[in-house]
Amino acid sequence: MANTHSDHPAHLQHHFVSSEQQFDAAKMGMWLFLVTEILLFSGMFVAYTVYRSWHPEVFVLSSELLNPWLGGLNTIVLLASSFTVALGIHFAQVNNKKGLVINLVLTFLFALTFLVVKYFEYTAKFEHGIFPGAAFDPHGVSHGVDYAMYNVPYARQFFSIYFVMTGIHGVHVLVGMGLFTWITIRAIKGEFSSEYYTPVENCGLYWHLVDIIWIFLFPLLYLI
Amino acid sequence: MSHVEHHVSSIKLLTTVFGGLVFLTVFTVLTAQLDLGPLNVPLALLIATTKAALVVIIFMALKWDNKVNTAIFGIGVLFVFVFISFTLFDTLFRGDLTNTVEGTIQDQMIQEEAMKAREPASDAIQFNRTPQ
Amino acid sequence: MSESASGPINYLSHDKSIKSWLLTLDHKRIGIMYLIAVSIAFLAGGILALLVRVELMAPGETIMSADAYNQAFTLHAVLMIFTFIIPAVPAVMGNFVLPLQLGAKDVAFPRLNLASFYIYLLGACVALGALVVGRVDGGWTFYTPYSTSVGDGILYITTGVFIMGFSSILTGLNFIVTIHKMRAPGLTWNRLPLFIWSIYATSIVQVLATPVIGITMVLLFLEKFLHIGIFDPALGGDPVLFQHFFWFYSHPAVYIMILPAFGIISDLMGTFSRHQVAGYKFVALSSVAIAFLGFLVWGHHMFVSGQSAISSTIFSLITYLIGIPTAVKVINWVATMYKGSVQLKTPMLYAIAFLFTFSIGGFTGIMLGVLAIDIHLHDTYFVVAHFHYVMMGGNVIAALGGLHYWWPKMTGRMFNEKLGKLAAALVFIGFNLTFFPQFIMGAQGMPRRYYDYLPEFQSYHLWSTYGSWVLGVGLFLILGYLIASLINGKKAGPNPWGALTLEWTHTTTPPHPHNFTETPIVTRGAYDFHLAKDLFAKGGEVSEVPSSAK
Repeated sequence: MANTHSDHPAHLQHHFVSSEQQFDAAKMGMWLFLVTEILLFSGMFVAYTVYRSWHPEVFVLSSELLNPWLGGLNTIVLLASSFTVALGIHFAQVNNKKGLVINLVLTFLFALTFLVVKYFEYTAKFEHGIFPGAAFDPHGVSHGVDYAMYNVPYARQFFSIYFVMTGIHGVHVLVGMGLFTWITIRAIKGEFSSEYYTPVENCGLYWHLVDIIWIFLFPLLYLI
Repeated sequence: MSHVEHHVSSIKLLTTVFGGLVFLTVFTVLTAQLDLGPLNVPLALLIATTKAALVVIIFMALKWDNKVNTAIFGIGVLFVFVFISFTLFDTLFRGDLTNTVEGTIQDQMIQEEAMKAREPASDAIQFNRTPQ
Repeated sequence: MSESASGPINYLSHDKSIKSWLLTLDHKRIGIMYLIAVSIAFLAGGILALLVRVELMAPGETIMSADAYNQAFTLHAVLMIFTFIIPAVPAVMGNFVLPLQLGAKDVAFPRLNLASFYIYLLGACVALGALVVGRVDGGWTFYTPYSTSVGDGILYITTGVFIMGFSSILTGLNFIVTIHKMRAPGLTWNRLPLFIWSIYATSIVQVLATPVIGITMVLLFLEKFLHIGIFDPALGGDPVLFQHFFWFYSHPAVYIMILPAFGIISDLMGTFSRHQVAGYKFVALSSVAIAFLGFLVWGHHMFVSGQSAISSTIFSLITYLIGIPTAVKVINWVATMYKGSVQLKTPMLYAIAFLFTFSIGGFTGIMLGVLAIDIHLHDTYFVVAHFHYVMMGGNVIAALGGLHYWWPKMTGRMFNEKLGKLAAALVFIGFNLTFFPQFIMGAQGMPRRYYDYLPEFQSYHLWSTYGSWVLGVGLFLILGYLIASLINGKKAGPNPWGALTLEWTHTTTPPHPHNFTETPIVTRGAYDFHLAKDLFAKGGEVSEVPSSAK
């Protein structure tokens, strides 16, 4: 195999004919992976839809306990992180290393912010006995809300679905933070350019999908 | 080496879309506070779908991408609908046979409790459950 | 072909260290490692099956307790389905053959490919951890609430299945991208070997369906340990919803099992009939049609679960539809043989056996899709016989055909043709003897999974057990002569069967580590024998690799 050709860039693996083929293959692989992610979440959306269709009044009641302002804030945080990723790719495409690194770091910080807000939301629920599963036992009063009032049949299902959906989504955010750490280090080393930025592009695609899942989780759980 | 130019989205376009997404988020939170009767749910879902579409088309650059990737994404979404709708064919119409009952065992237990509370003396009230 | 003392460099000989195998990125070596792994799984699952059959020879206890029996059949099912049959054809033959047939140097993501092998191994080991913990006896379907109320063994199995799911997804994803992006110049979609088409359809199913079993296993896990109340009826959950989740994956999964088998049969039919596969486009697209329709029928496993009558009706109707693309295939295979000049080599014998066994399996599947009949046959041995006719009579027989077909390419050695034919006959007879009586006793009301039974069913059980022994002898014979061929088998030429696909016409035997020394340029379809007269100058037996492959 010829691997020292002058027109053979370092990132090109031997079994591909051209950088273009490699880029297209990686991107298509990423889209397929995103589809598996969508279907992974689809199971939870099915559970949500079924239980909501059976007990709509319980879902409306239970969602009152979730704070739409915190959820809305988190939505905007995630949207902002999506925006910075898109900007990062733009800067990679125009060979602006500084712009790329700054935007990747911003994305990481937004992701962190999201999880911090989520942490406060979770602990506020746990304080009042709202746990997923057997420990579910809403009690106590705060901000004029009597939690015991929400201990109705099938409220457990709503909060189980809430915790599982947001929990698995949170795991994806964590994974995304790991990915962005890795990508940022590579970007600082100057590994990306307009010729080769596939990992940035693919991490970006992943991150946008995490955003999209949240775009649906937010109204379904917090608003309606 | 052959090189095909990739589409580069302008910062202006990205910023505009981000602004639109923030606007829609605020809009959906505000409309959720109003009581629109049966319209609340479809409106929230419509806004969410619009937002998701903006992210997919512009941020994920599907608009300028290979058509195969669009097809892959579309098939993924299609099968989510298949999963949801075919499951609903069952759960929405559960109990349309005479030998089955609607709702879950817990539903029946709740009803049973309610009836027993009204008529404490009777042990006879039981829904489709074998005596224990 | 230069037959010097050392022979030309090939993927087996170029580096023989253990490390070069364990860390290989070569799709061919990964395929061989999968072959060894799934063979061990098949052996273990097969021995369990033989034990189950011995236990069922007579009513009451024969060789094991009822408890041991429940665990034996559960483990047989889990091993066979998740560790053997799902990876068997796609991961073994798909890995070995697919890039060769495409004229590619490797799959699109070789590292991912190796990772998916180790993920599979990890998942299999975790699932087998259940053996240590014991008491997994609810069958392979993990229906709630039983699965969430028995011991902790289920924890290992569900985690194992979850992990193996990743392996399956990564393999499917890898293959789809490879087929789209790595085809040799001139290899248009209409020229692809039908094996590629069926692996393509399989991969679609793997990518779309497997994530759902992942989330199902996560929810089952949480149901058991946190009692989240989604599936457990005592907590307000719905056990039938679990069945929807489970079958949304597991019905398409039977197409992960059978579609690659279709591809092998198409290749065998074309090659050994020396004829263009009849209705090529229909056979190719019917794979894709089956893959998609396969997603719309999962509810036919749940006709007696208490799901709504309207959904049963819809699922039943769509189930009939699947018969159409399947029949398109079977009819075209028969037509291929009718017009071709059939050569009854061992692989072809399996292909012909497949036509019989799979057709029986398919027809009984349609019967079970009929609502009224299913009420009678549900959970009887009729169902057991049906899916063994499809899974074993379909997938395993096709896989054996494929294994014999590609064996010379994989190992560079020919197996003993006479023993091959004998073993094929034993497998065919043994298989039918094992499972045909199960149709009859099932129709008469023998329930599946039962440890004990009424004396009137004993003669059927007896025949079934005798059949399993014949089948076992046949399979062990295959194992024996294949291993023997590695030691003293005749050296195989590059194209011993006279096939037209790239792995035969453009590579040495065994292939070069990079498959092709020059990128092949394809000028005809995979079965265009009428355009390939030059290859058959010496009367069918082709021994020369064209100069382009050196």
